[in-house]
Amino acid sequence: MYNKKVMCVFKNPKHMGVIKNADGVGQVGNPMCLTPETIVHINDDSVKISDIDASKKVLSHDGRFNQVKRKMSRKYSGDIVIIKNKLGTTDLTPEHMIFAIRKPERWIYSYTKYKKLLAPAWYHAGDLRKGDLALYPILKEINDKKFIEMSQEKKKWDYRSIKIPNKIKVDADFLRLCGYYISEGHLRDKVTKTYLSFAFHIRENDLADDVERISNKIFGIKVKKRIIPERKTRVVEINNVFVARLIKSLFGKGAENKKIPKWMMLLPPEKQKHLLYGLWKGDGYFNAERPRAEYVTISYQLAQQIKILLLRQKIAPSIYTEKEKMDKKGVIHKKAYRLHIGERDFLERLAKILKINFVPKRAESIKSWFDKNYFYTPVTKIGKIRYSGDVHNLEIENSKSYITESLAVHNCGDVMKVYIKVEKKAGKEILKDVKVETFGCVAAITTSSVLADMAIGKTIDDALKISKKDVTEALGGLPLEKWHCSVLAVDALRSAVNDYRKK
Amino acid sequence: MVPEEIVSKMKPYFTTIYGNPSSLHQPGQEAKRAMGEARSVLAKKINASSQEIVFVGSGSESDNLAIKGAAYYLRETEGKNHIITTKIEHHAVENSCKALEKDGFTVTWLNVDKDGLVSPSDLKKAITSKTALVSIIYANNEIGTVQDIPALAKICKEKNVLFHSDAVQAFCKVPMDVKKQNIDLLSFSAHKIHGPKGIGALYVRDGIQLRKQIDGGSHERNRRAGTENVPYIIGFAAAATMFKESDCKKMEKLRDKLIDGVLDSIPNSHLNGSRTERLSNNANFRFDGIEGESLGMLLDADGISTSTGSACSSKSLEPSHVLLAIGLSKEQANGSIRLTLSRYTTEEEINYTIERIKKHVEKLRKISPIWNKIGKKL
Repeated sequence: MYNKKVMCVFKNPKHMGVIKNADGVGQVGNPMCLTPETIVHINDDSVKISDIDASKKVLSHDGRFNQVKRKMSRKYSGDIVIIKNKLGTTDLTPEHMIFAIRKPERWIYSYTKYKKLLAPAWYHAGDLRKGDLALYPILKEINDKKFIEMSQEKKKWDYRSIKIPNKIKVDADFLRLCGYYISEGHLRDKVTKTYLSFAFHIRENDLADDVERISNKIFGIKVKKRIIPERKTRVVEINNVFVARLIKSLFGKGAENKKIPKWMMLLPPEKQKHLLYGLWKGDGYFNAERPRAEYVTISYQLAQQIKILLLRQKIAPSIYTEKEKMDKKGVIHKKAYRLHIGERDFLERLAKILKINFVPKRAESIKSWFDKNYFYTPVTKIGKIRYSGDVHNLEIENSKSYITESLAVHNCGDVMKVYIKVEKKAGKEILKDVKVETFGCVAAITTSSVLADMAIGKTIDDALKISKKDVTEALGGLPLEKWHCSVLAVDALRSAVNDYRKK
Repeated sequence: MVPEEIVSKMKPYFTTIYGNPSSLHQPGQEAKRAMGEARSVLAKKINASSQEIVFVGSGSESDNLAIKGAAYYLRETEGKNHIITTKIEHHAVENSCKALEKDGFTVTWLNVDKDGLVSPSDLKKAITSKTALVSIIYANNEIGTVQDIPALAKICKEKNVLFHSDAVQAFCKVPMDVKKQNIDLLSFSAHKIHGPKGIGALYVRDGIQLRKQIDGGSHERNRRAGTENVPYIIGFAAAATMFKESDCKKMEKLRDKLIDGVLDSIPNSHLNGSRTERLSNNANFRFDGIEGESLGMLLDADGISTSTGSACSSKSLEPSHVLLAIGLSKEQANGSIRLTLSRYTTEEEINYTIERIKKHVEKLRKISPIWNKIGKKL
């Protein structure tokens, strides 16, 4: 696997060890790689990675929630790669590994049958190009909750509230109601005035009737219906404190805060179809003529959750962020998130869920697709920016990877520690000595040794210019899957320099 | 290696007795007779009958035929679509089960304890009315743990579920009796007993039907098509005959010397897998603070061939699933190395190996940031 030169360096690596009283010390490994703003999927929330700690569970690339063991942070100064795809954007350091498929140079794969030929592997974020495919895992965890229970304590002065059944079955009807609430529901939560209401469009009698039927069937509570003609609205009210409390405990109140409880995210996809039905019928848009479907919400959480629900149905939305703006009537619209579905296969599936008759008119080229475990989608944009600040990484129990808004990222196992001694000569900072400690394979040990060798005697600025290509070439080449070791070496040196500069 | 003795037994079947066993003429029939003798030699080794042995191209093919063959047949005839296996199987079994999973079967992956042993009560709990087949590796190739096959197979017999075992590593090293041990399907091959690479066999109990995996002629009683690899079959039988119980005892002694030598002379060293229920020729160590591939490469330069379960050395960058299944962390799995002995290993070689491992582990620990951290803790 390794050439002669590598083996030669390996048998007698130079510059290994520590420097006591070093001027700078840097460590990499279990690479720490995401910018603080990066959003990671956790329990039922999407949270900034900087806010995560070891008590949380994170969605991993095997589609299950796993415990966070540790969060590691370090200072980083260098390039950040910005990878954008249909599902969103992720910023990471170039050596962080992404589960992806590299598209071969000359390849047109608009036809489905060729897609199975491409095999995914872990690549450096820095090596991906536009058109490569990123893999996004589908949440696979299933936990079928059949009933929910609630205690119904009446307040002392409450003589009139009718009790609802203690045990509510989580069935199609209940889930549809939940969907309607999230989209069009409103909760009033004041003493003696606690109730649930739904505000549909005036023409949506079928939805209003559905809510009435469900309320009767599940809660045994009669609804109040009325029309507000000037606002083109049809309102349905469930005036029952227990129903209202149940819904509030499940979903929260206020349009910005609405989110779906974790156990509902884990229900079997078959059941979740009904939740989607309620959501989309309430506030979603489906146009069969100019085929597309959309759902807009001001809740970032909800947008991410609906994204996951759709992915479980093998439907992939594109997600756009709409900035805050003022419309022609002077009304300010808050920042909103738009889920858009345009690809034919996905529209067909959504139409089925919504019980809409949709006959696709034209064939489309397939850009993204699903298999049992992943959603494959092309990288639409790759950019690089210079960054200086904190970056974070997570170590996850049982899984080596976790998913961000748009990608699955991975932890690698090697660790390198670099010690430097700096001497100031004629106004320049020179690396008098560099020593390295490495836990890793042959490639890791040799690249760290070679880098130390190349860096000694150079000015700090020149040493920082050494690239992973330089290191690999100095060794006469490395097998492809070992290139990440050379990046670690370069990065470790940079980390040591940053440490020195801080002092 | 394949000793000269076995190679010379195989040679005539290339040059003189080269007939095709399926032919009706004399040369063909001669080859057929020789093949029949080889078959009965192998059958006797596991207390089976000749007609219960199917020759295939490798241990992996044998696993595929057993698992897929039984599963599809049972699903078609009895509607059973559940498979039980473990988390420490060889890739041939693991990926066959994964392929079945893709095709609509449900698969239960049994956990193992820190020594790599499957608990019979876990197996009992997992069996349902829809279970078609249970497949449990006889002795694991990485950590050497030998399962309590008679107990596990007995449970399957009681519940009327087929029991298959991948015995590629265990064949000839552990006494096997398919009748007494209630085994329905057994996979084994030649290359782990100093036979040639490229020939395997599957024991199929009389009465068990499998869906054919390789279609074609009606060779092997219509269970596996393909012109029989006569010289290799002869080599297979010769290797099985040559393998004596005394060889196992000898290897076990040397293995124990190696294990004790390493664990005693190197601090923070551990054995992966069970100390007692272990293959006579397998030793799998982990050393805190160093990585497996680099240790393996240093030993390779000294003429000692090893293998590692480290993530760095695998294309997928994941450490060995077997090491993770016995509860090791990522770092521990990365610091593991496997050594296996053969009947040709000498005591001198063992001593040399222990000394070399000690030297290299010390060398790697000097330059490891993780060891120095642990060292400070101590």
